[in-house]
This record gives sequence, C-alpha cells and structure tokens, in this order.
Amino acid sequence: MSYEAVRDKLERGDSVLLDGGVGSEILRRGVYWRCHGIEQHPEVVRQVHLDYLAAGADVIRTNTFQLNRRAYLNLFHGLEHMRHIGPPELEHKAGKLVRQAVELAVKARRLAGREGDGVAIAGVISPLEHSFRPDLCPPPKACHAEHAEIVEQMKSAGVDFVLLESMNCLSEARAACEAARASGLPAWVSFTVRENGRLLSNEPLEKAVQAVKRLGAEVVLVNCAPPADITKAVALLRRHGAGHVGAFAHIGRYDPPSWKFGFYPRFSGTEAYPPERFLKAARQWKKLGARVIGGCCGTTPDHIRALREGL
Amino acid sequence: MDIHSVNQRYAKLRERIERREVIILDGAIGSEMLRRGLTWESHKVESEPAAIRSIHADYIRAGADVISTNTFQLARRSYLNHFADRDHMRHIGANGLEKRAPALIREGVARAREARDQARRPQVCIAGAMTTLDWCFRPDQAPSPRDMRAEYRETIGAFKKAGVDLMLFETFNSSREARVALEAAREAGVPAWVGFVCDWKGRLLNGETMTRVRKGLRGVEPDVLLFNCAPVPDVTLALGELAKVYGHPAGAYAHVGRFDPPDWMFTDEYPPEKYLAAASEWVARGAQVVGGCCGTTPMHIEALKQGLPKNLLA
Repeated sequence: MSYEAVRDKLERGDSVLLDGGVGSEILRRGVYWRCHGIEQHPEVVRQVHLDYLAAGADVIRTNTFQLNRRAYLNLFHGLEHMRHIGPPELEHKAGKLVRQAVELAVKARRLAGREGDGVAIAGVISPLEHSFRPDLCPPPKACHAEHAEIVEQMKSAGVDFVLLESMNCLSEARAACEAARASGLPAWVSFTVRENGRLLSNEPLEKAVQAVKRLGAEVVLVNCAPPADITKAVALLRRHGAGHVGAFAHIGRYDPPSWKFGFYPRFSGTEAYPPERFLKAARQWKKLGARVIGGCCGTTPDHIRALREGL
Repeated sequence: MDIHSVNQRYAKLRERIERREVIILDGAIGSEMLRRGLTWESHKVESEPAAIRSIHADYIRAGADVISTNTFQLARRSYLNHFADRDHMRHIGANGLEKRAPALIREGVARAREARDQARRPQVCIAGAMTTLDWCFRPDQAPSPRDMRAEYRETIGAFKKAGVDLMLFETFNSSREARVALEAAREAGVPAWVGFVCDWKGRLLNGETMTRVRKGLRGVEPDVLLFNCAPVPDVTLALGELAKVYGHPAGAYAHVGRFDPPDWMFTDEYPPEKYLAAASEWVARGAQVVGGCCGTTPMHIEALKQGLPKNLLA
C-alpha cells in the first residue's frame, strides 16, 4: 500500500522526497562501524530513520548498503578458511543483519505513526563487491543468484520495494533488476556516475537507462557522486528518456580507513555543503526533471528538511 | 641514528641467530589495540601515539628482542582499492589519500623507535611490518609481478627512510609475492624475514607445498622464514613439514582466537602457559624466532621469554 502512494505521486508528476545518508549518519553519531551498527546500536539506526521521517522523507532507505555474504567471505580464503578461523555463524551474518536492518526501518515508521500515510521503505541493495570497483563485478549468473537471495531476505522482512543503489556497471544492474522484478517487488535503479557522465565502468549512461527500463525499473536515478556531477547526469537521464528520474548526490569527500575491511561510509569535509547549498543543487535537479530527490553519503536530516521546505 | 649503527644492531641479532639462540618476537599489535579499547581503522599511530607506544613498551618489557611496527596493510593500494581508479580517487576522495600510507608508515616506525628509546633498550630491533599488497588471505588478488615490484620498492623505501632495522613481510600467501618482496628488500639493502600463512594441511594458504616454497625462494631466502596468522596446531604442522625440506632459520607466531571482521574475537583457548607449551614444540621442530600473532598479549610474550629454551637443541 505504501508503495502505491509513492507511485501515485510520481504518476501525478509530484516530487517524492528520499532520505539522506544512512551509514555516514550513523558513523557521524559516534557509532563504531561494526555490523553497520545494527548489532550494538540498533537504537541509533532507528533514530536516524526517525529523524529522516521527521524531516519529511517520503521514502526511507534501509541500512543495508554492501551487506551481503560476499562482504564477509571476501576477507577469507574461502568458506572453509572462514569456518576454520572465523567465529561461528559468520557465513549467516549478512542475511541476519539484512533482516534486522529492514525491521529497524519498519519499526521506525511504526513509531513515527506513519504507516498509514504513504511512507515507503526502500530495501537498499548495492553492488555485491565494492561499489566503486566495477572491475570486481561477479559473472551475471552469480550476480543474479546472490541478488535474488538478498531480494528475498528483504521481501520477507517487509520492504515495500527495492532500490538498487550505486550500480556501477550494466551487467550487474541488469542481473539485480531481473532478480528484483522476479520477486514481484517494484524496483528502482540508481547508477553511480563519473565526472564525464558515464558509469564507473565507463559504459554510457544511455545504455544503462535502456537496459533497466526494459527490465521494468520504475525510476532511474543517479547517486554517490558530487552534486555537480549529479546535475549533469540528471540532464543526461532526461535526454535518454529515462521516464521517472531521481537524484541523490553525496557531499564531502570519501575518506576510507587504512584497514581494508570493506564498506566504511566516512565522508570528510561535508561542511562545504550545508543544507542551503545542497538545496540549491537539488533545485537544479528538479528543474531538469528529477522527481525523486534526496541525499547520499554525508547528507543529514537537516539537508532533507531543507529539501522538504525549499523544493 | 645513521644507517651504519642500524646495520650493526641487526648484525648482532644475526650473530645470535647463527649461534642458534632462540629469539623472541613481540605479540599482536592490532588486536591488542582492540583489547585496550581502541579501534584500528586508522592504525592510531598518529592520533593515539601514547597508546601505541605503550603497547610496544610492554612487549619490550616482556622480553621481545624484535618489535614490529603497527603498519600492517599500509601501502598505496590500501587506499586506491576503495576507488574505481586514481582519477576517481582524486575526484571524490579525501585530500592527501595518496600520501597517507607513507605518512602512517613514518609515524608507525617513529612510535616503535620512541618506545625503544624510552625503554633504554638500544639492542631491540625494529621490524617494519608489511603484508601482501592486496588482501592477505586472498592470493587470487595479488597484482602482476611488475606492479608488485614497483610498489614493494616504494613501500620498503618508506620503511627504510623511517629507520627500521629489518622488514617483516608477514601473513604472506605465496612464494611468488614473497620473492618479489625479498628481491626489493635486497635491492634496498634492508634485511628481511617472511611470515607465511599456512593452511591446516601443512601447506601455504594458496596450496603450495613446502617443497614448492623452498624452490620458489631459491637464491633469495629470507634470514628467517616464519609461519603466522594461523591457529596454533596449523603452525605446528607447517613447521614440521618445512623442517623436512628447508635448511635455513625458521620461526613461528600463531594467532589465538578468531578473526571476526572488523574485529578480533578473543578466546581463552590459549592462555600464556598453554601457548608456551605449543611454542616449546615449535622450538623442538626447529623454530628459532618465536612470538605471537593476533590475539596474543604481552603476557604471552613474557611466558615465552621465561619458559622457552635459550638455544635450539642440537
């Protein structure tokens, strides 16, 4: 039902407001980045969702970026090595965390008393490998199977639709989109773009748009690039007939840790983009035709509030 | 400290090795940080200098002849790997990422040297800890030999400039990458030891048998070949296999507990006395350099210092 409300808005030509950075916001609130904060600080994760709802978001995104079994398996020589030197049950951890993350978003919506008024929960699914590394993309068959597994976890935990986020190449976007559509859930697909408007894989955005439209993506978006790059990409999306278009830029600069333990959403220097400045960029996206607008890493509930009030 | 006196310090250690003395290496740094309430996402060598120094100091006090720097996994690739390519890193990455690895190496070595100075133990050798360029448990991710060569030269250069006495290439997963690292160290004039991760069948993690390892290292043998970052029984097994085919000095430092990324899970399977019993078995199998990997503490090292024989058995 919740998704129907979002879809109706889009059909009417209204804007839909996304939330802002989830992982980066959890980190900004002082949580030590382990298991996405879900095991040790579920109350912070829930509060971040609540704050985005209070700021006016129509869609809240689950804290599941880069949460998949590969994220853990990659740190070992293989499953046998993981079982040999890792803690018990590590191979099942990602799936468990995905379910818990969805439940936290569902609970936040209930606590905010927003179940009946059309707030939708987007199950965030990222590339299986590091989202900035298209060269590591698994073969299509593996992509399809692993995305299907995550989609099922999300569906059974109660998401309203899936948001395939930060997709970096055509083949994975296609496989993930097929898996999502096969589950019966609506799917939105968002691509990370380079400065030159291409995907990180250097494939043209136009091809990506055509591919996922054909597979039934209801909204095509661009995300996880600086605001200026996102502005250019929105214009490209419109030119390539993407239909419903969305945008959520990151702010600040990606500041990864010295230890290579995978996804760590630290963005430094975000003060260069205070809410008013972010709103200005978002106005351009809207002017260029974007109807789904929000923030990626580094943005905060204040940024989303500024969009709610100013767009 | 000029390079001459650094060489003298290591030369004395090498003489002890030649005299078949048992040498004590330190224990874990990264997991010890966790145990002391620090997290390790920036190595903390710059932001928590006193804490890092005190870990080194505790290992010196426990009796370590060699302490290793808190620099595991620092190489330019550690940051570059997070991005699509160099242009992408420059475009969206934090300022200074390209220089962060050598800067942290410099700081990491400085903390170990300060601890040595403060302890007034000038004979303690400082080993620059460096692992494989890509993920240590993933031999399949190793770069091409050409890329590796350039990156080892660069990284070893940073350690040398910072004043290490030797390189400790640890948690290596193939003789191929070890060979490149050893050649680069030799070119730079820095002595080197290599620690390999072994599996549970007496081979390296990538499946290489000890005979293959011996062949792979022919002509560039490290001063000491060790096994590390594997459970105690695996290390015992690997040392036995190595002894059958390899005649150069060997050593070992096992981990205790479980790798629970991004943390370490501490277990009580191997308290100091039990770890000492295992390490005594390693010495019986020819290990001459003995210390501890993840999960071990200064107490483990003290137990080794007190309890291990002073020399290899004839």
